[in-house]
Amino acid sequence: MDFFIQLFTDPVGFYNQHELLIAQIGINALLAISIFVTFYSGQLTLANAGFMAIGAYTTVIMSLYLPTPLPLNILVGALLAGAIGFLVGLPVLRLRGVFLAIATIGFVEALRLGVILNVPITGEGQGLKNPSADPLGGIVPILISVPILTYLVWRLTHTRLGQAWAAIREDELAASSNGINVPVYKMVAFVISAIVAGYAGALETHINFFVDPTEYSVTRTIQILTFAVVGGTTNVIGPIVGAIFLTALPEIVRQFAAYRDVVNGIILILVIIFRPQGIVGRGGLAIIAPRWWTRWRTRERAAAAH
Amino acid sequence: MTQQVLNAIFIGSIYALFAVGYTLVFGVLDVLNLAHSAVFMLGAVITYSLVVLHGLPFLPAAIIAILVCGLLGLLIEFVALRPLRRRDAPPIAALISTIGLALIFVAIVEQATQGTLFSWLWQDGANSVRFPAGTVPNPTYHVGGLTIEGTKLGILGLSVVLMLVLGYVMRFTQVGRALRAVAENRRAATLLGINVDRIFASTLFVSSALGGLAGLLFGLSLSDISPYIGRDQVELKGLAVIVLGGMGSIPGAVLGGYLLGLIEVFAFVRFGSNVEAGVAFAALFLVLVLRPQGLFGARLRERL
Amino acid sequence: MRTVARGIAIALAVALTACGGASSTGTTTSNSYQGKTIQLGAILSLTGAGGVYGPSSQKGMDLAVEKINNSGGVNGAKIALDTKDDASDRPQSAQVAQTLIQQGQLLALLGPTLSNSAVAVHPLAESFKIPILAVSTTGIHIVPDCNFPKTDPCKYVFRDSLGEESAIPANIKVYSDMKHPKTGVLLVANDDKFSKDGGTIVQNTVGQYNIQLLDTVQFSKATADFATPVTKAVQKNPDVIFITSLGNIPARIMGEARKQGFKGDFLGGNGFNTAAVSKAAGADGKGAQSGSAWYINNTFTSNAGFVQAYRAKYSSDPDQFAAQGYAAILILADAAKRANLTFSDTPGDRTKLRDAMESVNIDTPLGRFQFTSTHDVKQTIWVIQMDGSGGFTLVKSVTPS
Repeated sequence: MDFFIQLFTDPVGFYNQHELLIAQIGINALLAISIFVTFYSGQLTLANAGFMAIGAYTTVIMSLYLPTPLPLNILVGALLAGAIGFLVGLPVLRLRGVFLAIATIGFVEALRLGVILNVPITGEGQGLKNPSADPLGGIVPILISVPILTYLVWRLTHTRLGQAWAAIREDELAASSNGINVPVYKMVAFVISAIVAGYAGALETHINFFVDPTEYSVTRTIQILTFAVVGGTTNVIGPIVGAIFLTALPEIVRQFAAYRDVVNGIILILVIIFRPQGIVGRGGLAIIAPRWWTRWRTRERAAAAH
Repeated sequence: MTQQVLNAIFIGSIYALFAVGYTLVFGVLDVLNLAHSAVFMLGAVITYSLVVLHGLPFLPAAIIAILVCGLLGLLIEFVALRPLRRRDAPPIAALISTIGLALIFVAIVEQATQGTLFSWLWQDGANSVRFPAGTVPNPTYHVGGLTIEGTKLGILGLSVVLMLVLGYVMRFTQVGRALRAVAENRRAATLLGINVDRIFASTLFVSSALGGLAGLLFGLSLSDISPYIGRDQVELKGLAVIVLGGMGSIPGAVLGGYLLGLIEVFAFVRFGSNVEAGVAFAALFLVLVLRPQGLFGARLRERL
Repeated sequence: MRTVARGIAIALAVALTACGGASSTGTTTSNSYQGKTIQLGAILSLTGAGGVYGPSSQKGMDLAVEKINNSGGVNGAKIALDTKDDASDRPQSAQVAQTLIQQGQLLALLGPTLSNSAVAVHPLAESFKIPILAVSTTGIHIVPDCNFPKTDPCKYVFRDSLGEESAIPANIKVYSDMKHPKTGVLLVANDDKFSKDGGTIVQNTVGQYNIQLLDTVQFSKATADFATPVTKAVQKNPDVIFITSLGNIPARIMGEARKQGFKGDFLGGNGFNTAAVSKAAGADGKGAQSGSAWYINNTFTSNAGFVQAYRAKYSSDPDQFAAQGYAAILILADAAKRANLTFSDTPGDRTKLRDAMESVNIDTPLGRFQFTSTHDVKQTIWVIQMDGSGGFTLVKSVTPS
């Protein structure tokens, strides 16, 4: 509770004490945007952690060995993630549903265990220190990027491209017969998602000092997925709200310290069962009514009619 | 090399046992039950707790643990799956709710130490423990330079027998036919008068009991019982196995388990450990891309 | 009840001598400390994978705080310790550290539990100029080069946990002097920093003692069945097997190697040094030898008292992490005693405390404790062996040069 009290009574102190938490929330919001884009186009892909790794490692390795300026390193990291996203997308995007999800999990783990642990330039299991890390300065580009990217993606979902994505999500067959080039639109979403994830990964190394393979496992991707599910995917705000809520949660429930994951689990189950559209979704604050509730209501109404 | 083949066959049978339960749920309910790995862990943890904390002999402890795991399967069905089915939620919703349950199960064990709420279940927190020496006799034979352990041999035999039984039940019994009918077409099965909800519940029970059994055998033979054995050591590999064998196919999962064991061990011997860890996922990726129906072709493609 | 009382009495005496012994060099008037509070913060992994170590550190620290406060505090000032869990997660560790630092009143930090988190937390503390004392991190690049690969020394980062760079070579030396092994195989987990660092140290050390490393077998921490890597190692027929890994993995490797007929000895690092590992290895681990920061059966007063008090409070045996956590509080208390703190100028007090830490020289459960000029540990290394039934025996103590 102290957490909230301080937020309102002493916002400056709050900011100073929680700058890294806020930065992490920003990173997670970017990742939420990344998964939102593929979700919006009807694809359940879980490759985000892999693309983060590409962005992060590229940036750090460039900072270590090249005299290039940091913004360029970050840009290259994001674009390389996009390029690899394109290559991975070629074979993978033919798959649907759970199969697509599993294939992308395979990509993440094969990249982490098969590539990162085997290429000496990545520092293998020991990881790499980011020489240009600046935990408190690193927050600035994050805080700038989140609103800009949110706005861009919001706009994007209202363009022809966004409408095509929505059409594919609702009914792929119908979209296809309406002349929408489904594979191309899916690929565009996948690559945009990869670039945003790579960008988030690159920025994250800036506040976290370090990259190592444990950061980029399936666990991370699943965490990103929960942002989208808990927040809701009707529009881009949903996953961001999910990211903010779930990243701050460990701080909020610190008094349950030991059983934090139990609280986490319960929240996931409650949301998915009682509010499947996510925190931000249609229907205001309504929750899905349990069955006994509707039954009771019908009986009431029946009684009133008599 | 022969020793390594033996190693591969053994670990393959653990993978297979784990994956059979995994694939069973996918085959019948069309959802991935990500709490399966947590039930696997609890199978080992509950057996250990009954033997070490409550002084039961191994065999009754194991039987109780397997039944409890079956009941946990019902819990998964009632809490995480049925409410979602009621409103036709997309399969991804079940993915999330079962992740939620897995988080809870793991956290409860991880936080249980002496003097806490769950100390009757577990007292070692995040530590990994093993059964006291001699819980189960484990004669070790050395034959021509090969090392063969009694427990591992027993587990191999047990898993083969179990899988044959499961195969028989699936093919030739009333229950098996009902299960396959539901898997094939839920609505048609309902019209035929099959109680679909009951089929789902029993599927979860059997799958989780098998998962628990796999977990306790893992803990027994590999001397590793901790809150993380499911999540870290078999969850994703199990996924690779059921993909290799074709999602939803029981014989596929069995063959896939042994195949993954062999692939991993050969990768390790040929190229070293660095490659071994990634090989399961590279295989998973390639199979999905090149042959999404699994490696073993049309005959095994039919569900269950 | 009697033993409990006696334990407390002894522990009190120890705490008093520990503080008293140091105060002889002190220059402070105790008045300015009276009624004040020395606020410390600890970042520990109480949940998650590091939950194996963090709770022990916490118990050791709490015990020391309690002892010191019950025996008059630090020149009359109480110690208050704010412990926060980082869930074994690097970003959370850094977040928690930042919150603690920015709350403004803390004079020093302890932790974090895992090396993986230390790489983020230590540079943060350094940039805020608050002393931080690592209590369980043994890898390389902890002190003094916390900003590795930059080489300028970190001024505010200390550790009281014996580094693998000291412990592993000491152990190999002691073993070679006794048994003169010719060949070895290294089994090393390749996916965490601690194990990888240990493996590198073994590889760099064996040559000095004419041990030929026949093979380095790397494996993943998540390996389910260790039969495969062990078969590969045992088939080379080495005199010794080096194991650098965490958790119960060393025990599982030992069990598997014995089953496969390996007759030689096991040598290792900090991964061997917990009772849990020795217990898990059982008879298979008999003779497994490692360099340790602490040995439970040491009879010098500062350790005997600690062990007694710990048993009395928690009714279980302490381990190395508890001893290092306990020692850390003694170290900070001693430094605080001599630092002439103002209790009004926090940044100034932090720097004063840091300066006083450099000259710590006290008795702890680890033995006589000092920092080297690079803020690393200067203490006796206890080379110990597993006794085959869950405990350890002392082989030799190596005094620091």
